Amino acid sequence: MRLPGGPLASVRRLRARPGRSLVAALGIAAAAAMLGTALTVGYGLHTGFDRAADRADLPDVIARFDNQPVGRVESRLRALPDLQATAYRQEYTSVPIFTGRRQTGNGIVQVVGPGRRGYAIVAGRDVRGPRDTVVERGLARSWHVRVGQELGVGQGRLRVVGIAVSPDNVAFPLAKGPRVYVDRSALGPGFVAHPRTNLALIWLNDPSQLAPVLTQARAASFGVGGLTFLTRSGVRTTIDQAAGIVIALLVAFSVIALASAGVMLAASASADVQRRLQGIGVARALGFSPGSVAAQYALDSTVLALPAGMVGIAAGALVSYGSSSRLLESINELPPGAALLGPLALGLVAVIALVAAASAWPAWRAARRPVVAVLRGGDVAPAVRTSRLPAGFVGLGMRLAATRRRRMLATVAVLGVSGGVVLTMLAMAHLLDRLQHDPGLVGKRYQLTVDLPPSRARAVARIPGVAAAAPRYVTFAADSFQLGEGLKVVAYPGDHTPFEAPPLAAGRRVRSPGEAEVGTGVADALGVEPGAELALELPTGREVRFRVVGLVRAFDNDGRVIYTQPPRLLAADPSLSGPIAVKLADGANQAAVERRLRRLGAPPPQPATTATTRNAGFLGVLAALLRAVALVDGIVCLYILVQALALTARERRSTIAVLRASGAGGREVRLVLLGAALVAVLGAAPLAVAVELLVFAPAVSRLAASYVSLPLGVQIWQVAIVVLGMLVLAAAAAALAARQLGRERVVAGLRSD
Amino acid sequence: MRPGFLTLEPLRLVTATALVKAYGAGRAARRVLDGADIHIDAGELVALVGPSGCGKSTLLHLLGGLDRPDEGSIELGGRRLERESERGLTELRRSHVGFVFQFFHLIPELTGEENVLLPGRLRTNGGGAPARARALIESLGLAEAAARRPAQLSGGEQQRLSIARALVNDPRLLLADEPTGNLDEESGLHVLDLLRQVAGGDRGVLLVTHDAEAARIADRVLRLEHGRLVE
Repeated sequence: MRLPGGPLASVRRLRARPGRSLVAALGIAAAAAMLGTALTVGYGLHTGFDRAADRADLPDVIARFDNQPVGRVESRLRALPDLQATAYRQEYTSVPIFTGRRQTGNGIVQVVGPGRRGYAIVAGRDVRGPRDTVVERGLARSWHVRVGQELGVGQGRLRVVGIAVSPDNVAFPLAKGPRVYVDRSALGPGFVAHPRTNLALIWLNDPSQLAPVLTQARAASFGVGGLTFLTRSGVRTTIDQAAGIVIALLVAFSVIALASAGVMLAASASADVQRRLQGIGVARALGFSPGSVAAQYALDSTVLALPAGMVGIAAGALVSYGSSSRLLESINELPPGAALLGPLALGLVAVIALVAAASAWPAWRAARRPVVAVLRGGDVAPAVRTSRLPAGFVGLGMRLAATRRRRMLATVAVLGVSGGVVLTMLAMAHLLDRLQHDPGLVGKRYQLTVDLPPSRARAVARIPGVAAAAPRYVTFAADSFQLGEGLKVVAYPGDHTPFEAPPLAAGRRVRSPGEAEVGTGVADALGVEPGAELALELPTGREVRFRVVGLVRAFDNDGRVIYTQPPRLLAADPSLSGPIAVKLADGANQAAVERRLRRLGAPPPQPATTATTRNAGFLGVLAALLRAVALVDGIVCLYILVQALALTARERRSTIAVLRASGAGGREVRLVLLGAALVAVLGAAPLAVAVELLVFAPAVSRLAASYVSLPLGVQIWQVAIVVLGMLVLAAAAAALAARQLGRERVVAGLRSD
Repeated sequence: MRPGFLTLEPLRLVTATALVKAYGAGRAARRVLDGADIHIDAGELVALVGPSGCGKSTLLHLLGGLDRPDEGSIELGGRRLERESERGLTELRRSHVGFVFQFFHLIPELTGEENVLLPGRLRTNGGGAPARARALIESLGLAEAAARRPAQLSGGEQQRLSIARALVNDPRLLLADEPTGNLDEESGLHVLDLLRQVAGGDRGVLLVTHDAEAARIADRVLRLEHGRLVE
């Protein structure tokens, strides 16, 4: 026998119990919101590069070389196999760029010729004439440059006619200098007639033929100096690395959030079936088949999940879209826009399917049990040993919750995992904050630098309160990335670890001037490891060589850093200098030390710098995004607790009704429910810490990046915040559930037996 | 009543006048109480009888402030229930009323003693509840049963514990809804005997019952017929 009715009958059933339907819908919406957030962040970041690259028509290869006449390069490139198209630019670096209020000397001007562009115009139009310029979006955003405005470039002023995005580099100000594009005609008729180029964009018919094409290109490059190739996949890797640790962290979060949302939906749907066990029993007693009962539950859930899931997914997407779009913009990638609708729709289908399955399965299982047992439902509480719990109303609540052990374990598990996610998010956000403020995080153990000649290091070291002082030589060596970012070389006389000690990942520390420790960012990029020889080209054009003895996990310069001792550097560049790094003794008065340093004739000492990127705002956006995710998860925790309490209250209606009949008011009912919530919270809190420390932190650290060591361990205060937050949530959930109970007539509860 | 005159009438615990209570709506509406009047004085045990579904339990719930009448008025402890807020009704129940139910409604996770003590933990009952609970348990011969959980007790023991629970806050009015309905004959007699003892001094008992024996021990027997009470 089958149960009657279709979707309309389901709607009628849901409307017959509006309160419960609303609670269930809220739960589905909350889980769907997490899914929406995860999809928005995960999909946006995962597909951002490809989307931007396709829109910008990013070439398969970008070749850089010394200045050449265009015709000469073109003739060489035409000989390459599988060539689809080429375009040529002349790039000028360190060009002054300025508006009325802002300026930089690190501007990059790319003079574009005819043909394909390799960038996408996202506002305005492309360059056409000598007075036109197109600016990169990062510059437009950070300097508030608009189309139609004038922009100072070099010695002249150009009109901004368009704004462009090109994912071959991160955006300004994450990149060192802003990039603008001008037409060849801007350099005068002479350049138009005899164009030169130092940058070629190459598109292939079949990108899979890249390797043989590059081999042939190298063979054909005779006479062309300084040739480097940057492939599309190389750009992607480099940008991912330049974006720091965060993209992979967020993708990791998305995976965790998806799992949490799934568990929550399943728990919520299962709880709803538990509430309606008696209805199932009656249906079975009347002769309806288990399949029919399960189908009815699946249909009811689907009817409820459709609107609730849509609202939740839309809310999650809206909350996170802005932050994730800003993140994408900072790495010159494009937000997904309407393309996100597809994954969100799939997410909605998944939510509905999960809810339907999670409802149908326990309904099916319940319907297959003996009818009498089902009719008895959950109202018969087995006698369990709970006498060790405290007496009073809170204690009673704890006992009521502890009676349902399996459910309590499931609640504790979901709550613990959610708490673990919140802790991980907080730890990640805190890490990002520390990247801006805590030099120790990037392995720096000195607190100050003072601009004095290296010869004064001993005098500085003698100042009371100074534990150690040494000159810190810094230079940038040539690299193969061409992202405006070189390999940072840091040198201290002797042992550098008292001043900077990023964790050693492999090998050993530097012991002699011919040795170097390299950051894993360098190792990844250049393929070097301990034992290899590293050749660096200094700004003077001189080459220095080191034997790599160690691999360090350094945040500094995204891991593209090298630690060594100064003699070889000074031999290659005698003008090399650097401030004196000052390490303070424990408990030293920093102000007093600074006063003594000034007495030595030093300019005001500078605090040790920290951030791995130049853009603190970028880190701020990420931290805000992570905290928003933690907040969403907190709301989910609240829902889980309310749901568990509502279920307990439902099962124990008669107990609550007797209490109310005896004169218990709202306060006492809240205390009972608080006790029930406390059992879950007190179990979930240590689980959350354990899950964070043992599962999430190691997993996220591994996923994050290979070039850094992420200290994602939780702090006591973070645990305190989460535990306190859970207690507040428990109180809030108890208040909400008690309010719901208070609306019910006492008599109704007494009749429930 | 003018001051200075001696009062000889018993204390009136609850008075209900012209009570109306209907269930359902429109043409399906059914008036289970239709102008019912009742009063219970201190020291008396009143039995309320009538066929199933005639509204006996409804009347008991109204008198105890668990439900509100559609029309009519109820005065309990000098306060008009229909004018009280939910909070006010809660406070009246706490200080003036004790309930005994047919299905005992003991909390299975608590021992007998903990069940008896639970209402005594309510805020406004002073510190005498634990001592009163122990005295009640002793006087009802439940010392051994009080240490066990409800599942380990007989029906009679459970009902006596639920009476002790109803009395722990020393209410003036005890409302018992079919207290023997779920007991064997011997246990039922035991419980009735107990209720008879309870109804004395300044306390009154309203007993809703089908039990003829219960009617025999009552001071007054009221029959609910067509929504009205007849003596």
